[in-house]
Amino acid sequence: MQKRTAKLEPLARTEGLIVQRLPDEVLVYDLDRHKAHCLNQTAALVWQHCDGEKNVAQIARRLSKEFKTEVGEEVVYLALEQLGKDHLLAERIPMPQQMQGVSRRDLMRRVGLATAVALPIVISIMSPTAAHAVTCIASGSPCSTTVVCCSTLATCTPPATCP
Amino acid sequence: MRKIDRLGWTDGIAILSYGVRVGIRVNDSRAMERILKLLPPGWKPASSPVVESLFSVYLGGASGQEKIRRFNLLYGGMQRLVRSFDETEIYTTLESNLRLTVAEAARRRVFVHAGVVGWKGMAIVIPGRSFSGKTTLVRELLRAGATYYSDEYAVLDQQGRVHPFAKPLSIRESGTADQTDYTVEALGGEAGKKPLPVGLVVISDYKAGARWRPQKLTAGQGALELLAHTISARRQPEVALSTLHRVASRASVLKSKRGEARHVIDSILKTIA
Repeated sequence: MQKRTAKLEPLARTEGLIVQRLPDEVLVYDLDRHKAHCLNQTAALVWQHCDGEKNVAQIARRLSKEFKTEVGEEVVYLALEQLGKDHLLAERIPMPQQMQGVSRRDLMRRVGLATAVALPIVISIMSPTAAHAVTCIASGSPCSTTVVCCSTLATCTPPATCP
Repeated sequence: MRKIDRLGWTDGIAILSYGVRVGIRVNDSRAMERILKLLPPGWKPASSPVVESLFSVYLGGASGQEKIRRFNLLYGGMQRLVRSFDETEIYTTLESNLRLTVAEAARRRVFVHAGVVGWKGMAIVIPGRSFSGKTTLVRELLRAGATYYSDEYAVLDQQGRVHPFAKPLSIRESGTADQTDYTVEALGGEAGKKPLPVGLVVISDYKAGARWRPQKLTAGQGALELLAHTISARRQPEVALSTLHRVASRASVLKSKRGEARHVIDSILKTIA
């Protein structure tokens, strides 16, 4: 489990990841957890600047330059919170006092009203096993250990039949 | 020699499908005739008997003793997949496992669980889980004049083009999970033969009474939606991700719940036109 530390120079994780850069997004595949993530432009830029040398204020300034508009530290913290949760940082970064204990929805609303850039968003999915990605077996038909039952979306062991 | 190898195999075949070598052996040559009809579309006999995956079909039949029947068995490698008195269950499971094996191990193709049709030189790809209504949508698109590519897998090459995987359409009987196979010709359609670039990806689950209100996804979101239905996602994530990102960057990706398939066909075809 990742620890929250007081270190405020966030460092992006590099080991065990496949990264594909798109014009405005970044796709990341986590080989350890078999999870795939899509970072929108804001989240991707924050992640890109997590080099272990820049602190949150410096990242916010870099983003302001790139977006040609004021980007607050809250936007960076919001991105770091998501990136940390998704194990895309070497270590999670603690949220500042004023942002702690506030629901994510409220934070998004508050930060969203105060900024002109898109809020950082990370969409994630669990990568499917081959069995989970294919056609299922009808009820009453024999189980297979490689194909899921339609009724339960889980595999079962022959000679049992799918419920 | 392992126990399974001593069961008395009398016939067998080694095939090559999408670069994957698969072997099937049987203890009764009657089974071979039926198995030849279940092989994945586009298979060829392999020149070498060395295979990556081996399936074994053991037909039990009657034993020497009166009133005693022996189980029919299907093995995938060393693992028993089916034990049943009903031969049909053996063949049904063998067929789906053969396709799955090829889909997961193919090196130069990415298999996405999806229906696919061709329309005006572009492919429409409809990924989805079982019961999401893929085949129904494919069938309606065929009625509208589209050409048939697949109702099970979108077979993508690394340039992001989709190749035909023209197995018969497996149509569910109303209200049940049982499927009946129909050739595309029996449904009045025609099968496509050439690879096509993907013009449209439709992410859509059937929900009774739902309205079709498509939301356009970004390329990254679209790639993630496709990855969720990709057979080799865990085995070859790098190839899968780069192929899917290429597809989603060039095609429109629409997502919405939908009601009856016939009510959304016009909108889908207008999008790709």
